[in-house]
Amino acid sequence: MNMRMRRRLGEWLTAYIFLLPWLFIFLVFVLFSIGWAFYLSFTKYNLFSPPQWVGVEQYLKVIRNEDFLQHALPNTLKYVAVVVPTQTVLSLIIAFALDQKIRFRRFFRTAFYVPSVTSSVVISLIFLWLFSKIGIINQIFHLDIDWLNSPTYALPTIMIVNIWSTIGTMMLIFLAALQDIPESLYEAAEIDGANRFQIFRHITIPALRPAIFFVVTMGVIGCFQVFDQIYVMTSGGPLGATTTMAYLVYKWAFQSTNIRMGRASAVAFILSLMILVVVLIQRRFIEQPEEE
Amino acid sequence: MNRKLFAIVSAGLLLALLVAGCAPKTVTVTVEVPVERTVEVERTVEVEVPAERIEVRLSGWAANPQETALLESLLYRFSVENPDIVVKYEPITGDYWQAIKTLVASGEEPDIYYMDIFQFPFFAQQGVLLPLDDMMASTGTSRDAFIPDLIDAFTYEGKTYGIPKDFNTLALFYNKDMFAAAGLEEPTDDWTWDDLKAAAEALSDPDNNVYGLGVPADPGRFPIFVFQNGGKIMTDDFSDTLLDSPEVIEAAEFYTSFYFDGSGALPSDVGEGWQGTAFGKGNFAMVYEGGWLIPYLNEQFPDLNYGAVLPPEGPAGYGNLIFTVAYVISQNSEHPEAAWRVIDFLTNEASQTTVLESGFALPSRAALIDHPYFEEHPVSATIFRGAEGATPFMWGLYGSDVNEKMAQALERIYLEGQSPAESFQQAAAELRDIFKEG
Repeated sequence: MNMRMRRRLGEWLTAYIFLLPWLFIFLVFVLFSIGWAFYLSFTKYNLFSPPQWVGVEQYLKVIRNEDFLQHALPNTLKYVAVVVPTQTVLSLIIAFALDQKIRFRRFFRTAFYVPSVTSSVVISLIFLWLFSKIGIINQIFHLDIDWLNSPTYALPTIMIVNIWSTIGTMMLIFLAALQDIPESLYEAAEIDGANRFQIFRHITIPALRPAIFFVVTMGVIGCFQVFDQIYVMTSGGPLGATTTMAYLVYKWAFQSTNIRMGRASAVAFILSLMILVVVLIQRRFIEQPEEE
Repeated sequence: MNRKLFAIVSAGLLLALLVAGCAPKTVTVTVEVPVERTVEVERTVEVEVPAERIEVRLSGWAANPQETALLESLLYRFSVENPDIVVKYEPITGDYWQAIKTLVASGEEPDIYYMDIFQFPFFAQQGVLLPLDDMMASTGTSRDAFIPDLIDAFTYEGKTYGIPKDFNTLALFYNKDMFAAAGLEEPTDDWTWDDLKAAAEALSDPDNNVYGLGVPADPGRFPIFVFQNGGKIMTDDFSDTLLDSPEVIEAAEFYTSFYFDGSGALPSDVGEGWQGTAFGKGNFAMVYEGGWLIPYLNEQFPDLNYGAVLPPEGPAGYGNLIFTVAYVISQNSEHPEAAWRVIDFLTNEASQTTVLESGFALPSRAALIDHPYFEEHPVSATIFRGAEGATPFMWGLYGSDVNEKMAQALERIYLEGQSPAESFQQAAAELRDIFKEG
């Protein structure tokens, strides 16, 4: 008994020694930081003077703020609503196509994955030129649109950039999942006389459910937090058309001459709450569909 | 190449100085001092290095390698004359204000750091800077030696908090070849708005992507038209905005008229992010820019034939913006006296002359206006002279909000066709909400 307890204690100790480096970083840079930011969201804090407790005042100010109501909130929701479904469906189609026995399959797989290993800042700069008023997009389609300086087109342009650059990773996840589906299922379906669409609808898609959940969840989180492309390409403009919640956090926390850490933290917590709710909802839909 | 070598040699020397600092003995220090841009003189100095030496940290942004080398060369000269003080230069790369504000918040900021006039009000109001007046008196450094607008800008509640290191103003840069091709006379310092408008119309050729004047929705350009029209952006105590005053609205009507009648354009209309590039490529015949445009044009468009004059006068006369940066001392500094000696050295007449001759920045000392450098560099002379009667680029505690709303007001006129009056009234109303909210 004593021996067994000692051995268990030893195992326990070994485990924690191995976990220690990560645990330390997690406690200090994640858990403590989140806790501190949560505290700050109830204060007035400009970095230089100590935080002043103001209760929920900052949250009330945020939900009445014009920048938040007219730009950050609708832009973020629009962005998520367009980008998440588009990138999921497109990457699924591409993954499905590249899972077939077509020529130059390896080349296409690599080509579609390249954007994912490229720095988002570099991608943003390339698209800045592609979508400039005298850029190649306007020249090919004979348009005269100043994409990134137009309140109408700036956000869609950023959406396109992000869809293009994230499709690769998602395609890779779908490809891996597709290859996990046992060949025997397809064979059985064929013997039963199912056509290609029926096979796709009733075998491929259900088998991919865990992968879809993962891709959509990562997509939702990434899209709610979109920042780099906006920082590089439009700085939240023109006229707030590309100000998202994450950009608003940055603007209030670091760009203002008069720093508003408390209000920025409040937006950050509203944002994480929204992500949590959306992820919970979509889990219900994807993991436990009504038909089962 | 030479400069790079010089920087490496200098860095090595600093190391030698630091090592030598451990024991009181005489060391031989070789210092290269760039006297002019092309000639570098080498001299050997015997320095007595005391046992106890005070360490002072200095931070700024690293604009480019040449400016860093220039500052380092000044610091080595200082170390030769003041062997009891070691200056540790710690340039900040990336977002300087984010970094320096975080450092101040944690009490880890350097003894001396760069302070832009735009950011100054917040730092001054928060009491994180050291007043310099007593120390200035102790070394006999007079406020009068500096260009008044510059030193006044870094004065808060009657106390001096920063010594300006350099500055910039806006000038009207013009493309000489385009003026010649259009058969127009080149601009002069006594031009008015009417002359500007007439020339811009004559120079424009929208079908070929050529425009007379760059009129970006930029809060760092538009305000000079307000000043030239007798208006102001903020009240004198910065408690309220004047963006909805008739002077501002009229200025906006004039400024945006270039865009609507085709005699001016935004940089993005010709596919550029900055009008300096559009000017270099010949898309814009005239732009309002500062001294930063000169090295850029020399490097990117060496064949461009250009000149610069003071901004043309409006109905109320002359108006311009001053962009300036000062050295400040942290309230937390353990060695304020030593820090002051560093600043005093970096802004004395000899150092400021070196700054001027390097061609990277305009010195803050008023007496340098007679320096022969300006005869050979008329564009720099124009920008230096521009300071007289100009207004610092600073809108108080809420500066970033004022800038944002001003830019948006112009964008609404350009992109949504809103009337200048409506657009600027909306901007002023939004700003007042922000002032109230805090």
